Parts: sequence; structure tokens; C-alpha cells
Amino acid sequence: MEPPGRMNRARLPIAVLLVLTLQYSAFQDVRIRGVHPDALLLFAIAVAIVAGSESGAVVGFGVGLLADLFVQTPLGLSALTFALVAFAVGALQATLIRSSWWITPVTAFVASAAGIVLFVVLGAVLGQTQLLDADVPAIVAVVAVGNAVLALPAVRLASWAMAGLEPDRSYAR
Amino acid sequence: MAVYRRSARPRFTLLLLVVTAVTLLTLDERGARVVDSVRGAARDAFAPITSAADAVFEPVGDVVQGIVHYGDLEAENARLREQLASRDGEQLKAQDAQRELKALLDQQELAYIGDIPTVAARVVTLSPNNFELTLEIDRGTGDGVVQGMPVVSGAGLVGRVVEASRTRSTVLLITDAESSVGVRLVSSGDIGVANGQGERSPLGVDLIDPATVVPPDEVVVTSGLQQSVFPPGIPVGKVRSATARPGELQQEVTVDPVVDLSRLTFVKVLQWSPRAA
Repeated sequence: MEPPGRMNRARLPIAVLLVLTLQYSAFQDVRIRGVHPDALLLFAIAVAIVAGSESGAVVGFGVGLLADLFVQTPLGLSALTFALVAFAVGALQATLIRSSWWITPVTAFVASAAGIVLFVVLGAVLGQTQLLDADVPAIVAVVAVGNAVLALPAVRLASWAMAGLEPDRSYAR
Repeated sequence: MAVYRRSARPRFTLLLLVVTAVTLLTLDERGARVVDSVRGAARDAFAPITSAADAVFEPVGDVVQGIVHYGDLEAENARLREQLASRDGEQLKAQDAQRELKALLDQQELAYIGDIPTVAARVVTLSPNNFELTLEIDRGTGDGVVQGMPVVSGAGLVGRVVEASRTRSTVLLITDAESSVGVRLVSSGDIGVANGQGERSPLGVDLIDPATVVPPDEVVVTSGLQQSVFPPGIPVGKVRSATARPGELQQEVTVDPVVDLSRLTFVKVLQWSPRAA
């Protein structure tokens, strides 16, 4: 495999910046019951689908850390959650023998729901008990459905971002 | 071309990431100043991008929400809402002032809100996280805004600044589960604590005496007691319900915020601190 070019290496930061901007602006206005999709978690899942568990975990950690910079919850909580979820998604994808188009949205749905629950559980363990006061079922439902709807474009973006970088295993094209 | 690898490296990488995350969590828990500095720097660096993106995506969001505002019409709407909210706030403040005048309470030494210097700010965005009720404003330490300052709109209390970088500040809304506000019932003068219970829930007020008669729509203002994080007399909300159960040591009182926290465009930061008062 040829080493990644300078342009290819710049794609991932560009994609992350785009996702962060979407999360911070456009998604603020797309709220159902006060809840919006989680583009950063979705991107971590999409990278795991495209590039496997290791890349997914690293990118998940990175975007989670970015998310942590803009919120009041402890620094590292989103990073830890996204890394674990992306790693699990990548590991599960590796067991798939054949893929269908609907696997991506279903994966995004399940992984997003698991990610939100894991975030709440880890947060509660770390003393962030206010997370339990939130309307967790509504947040899980809206984020999971929203991310499932956006999963296919997210995977396209992740494919573009990870192009030229060596994958553990790639099935999404 | 996909490459298949079966090795222990992904697990080792994950372990490394988990250890790093736990280290960061520990640092943040211990209140490391470097964490605040990094957060502030990130906010400042990202501020121009969010401002530009807001300009691009705001019309899209308006369509999604079913409300179509364009240009001057939107600005005029915001201005009119602000004026209306100001009038409501003035009315509530007047009621409170009348009561204080009649009762001749020993409050001459408390700061009068009209004398408190303010910093006008525009709401840039709501929290990107679904688990907290915050908003970001376009003023920071460079404009004289510091952590802990109260934030109000024309109608009343919005929240308090919980984080401030050079150009941006994060405001914790009074409806957030982490928010507590010392309050006073205007007619009875009873003191309590209003706790946030989420975006679509009223505030829950603790410590109200079961014997106190609390009529519906009773106005609730900040108590401003010693070391309170808010100055006295800022309208907080109106009583939605009050239930006194036999044997209970306090009433179950709920309060609807007077400020529509979902439709804020402009706010004012009060340059006030308990020590200054």
C-alpha cells in the first residue's frame, strides 16, 4: 500500500471540523423534544464501520475529546465513551461475512443508543448524577433514530476522510 | 484494497486510550487549571467558525422549526419580544418593590439591580450536549464577564456564567438539574431554594413552610441572602402549583420560569458578585 499523501492526511481533520461545525450550528435547530442527533458520536461509529476497530477507537477518542472541550461534563468522559463504542462497532463489523445497505443504519441506531446509555452510566459512576435526571429514554430514542437516518452520508464522509489511511478492515465503499 | 489483520494491537490501542481518558478525567476532577485553559482556548479558536456557521445554518434551522424569519423581520421580532419581556419584567419588579416598600424590610443595604453594571450579549448557541441546559454567549473575560456572574433577560433570571474564555461564556440555565437559586415568595416573603428539573419541567422549590398560603401565579424573585450567587429582586418565575401534605416539613411548590429560555436572542450579564455586594 502506498503511503498516504499530504492531501489524504488533511481529509480527516477537515471532516472532523465539518462534523463539529454541524453539531454546533445546524443540529442546534434540529431538535425533537429538545434533543438533537449526536453527529460526533455518529462520525466515530462511521469511521469504525469504514476502517475497523482500532481506527474507530482512535478517531472516536479524538472527536469525543473535542466534544468534551465544549461541555460541562468531565474532560475525557465523551472520549472514553466514543472510543469504547467505536471499538465495539469495529469489532462487530469484522465478524460480518457479507454486508447489506441496511446494516449501516441499524448499526448506527444500536451503537448510538448504546453510546448514550454508556455515557450516562460512566458519568453516574464518576459522580455526574445529574445525567440520570435527564430524560434519558427520549435522548436515546432521538439520537438513535437521528443517527440512523444520517448514517449513510456519515459513512460516505468517513470513507472520504479515511481514504489513503491504512484500514484494519474496510467493507463500506 | 482492504487489509485484514488479526493481532493484539487494536486491544492495546484501546487500553492506551482508556488509560489516557481516565488520566484526563482524574485531572479534571482535581480541578487542574490546564483543563480550563485548554477549554477556553478551544472555545475562542472555534468562535469564528460557529459564528460563520450560524449565519449559514440559521435559515435552515428556522425552516426545520417551522418558523420562517428573514433578515429585518427576524431582527424586528427579536426586538419586539425583548421589549415585551422587559415590560413583563418591569411589572414583576414593580410588584416586588411595592411589597418591600409596605413591609419596610431591612434590605436597604442590598444591591439594587438598577445600579448593577451590565454587559449585553448575544446568544450564540445552545449546548451541543443533550444532557445539559446551557447556552453560549458572545462575551467573555475580555468584556468583563467572569465565572459566577448572573445572567438576565428583560423578563427575569436566565442563569449564571459557569465558564468564561476571552471571547465566549457558557451560561447554566436555571432549568438545568445542576442549578439552584435562592428565592423569595413576593407576597409572603418566605424563603426557599428553586432547583432546575429539566427543560420541559417547572422549577421545584424546597423549604417553603407548609403553613404558608401560596396562591397560583405568586411571583418568585431571587432572595439575595448573604453569600447568594444572585442579587435580590430578580424575577425568577410564577408559582404553578403548591401542595401541602399532612406531616410534611415543607410544601411541594413548582414554579414556571418567567423567561422563555428556548427563545433567547439577547441577554445581559450582571457584573455582580456576592463579595461586591
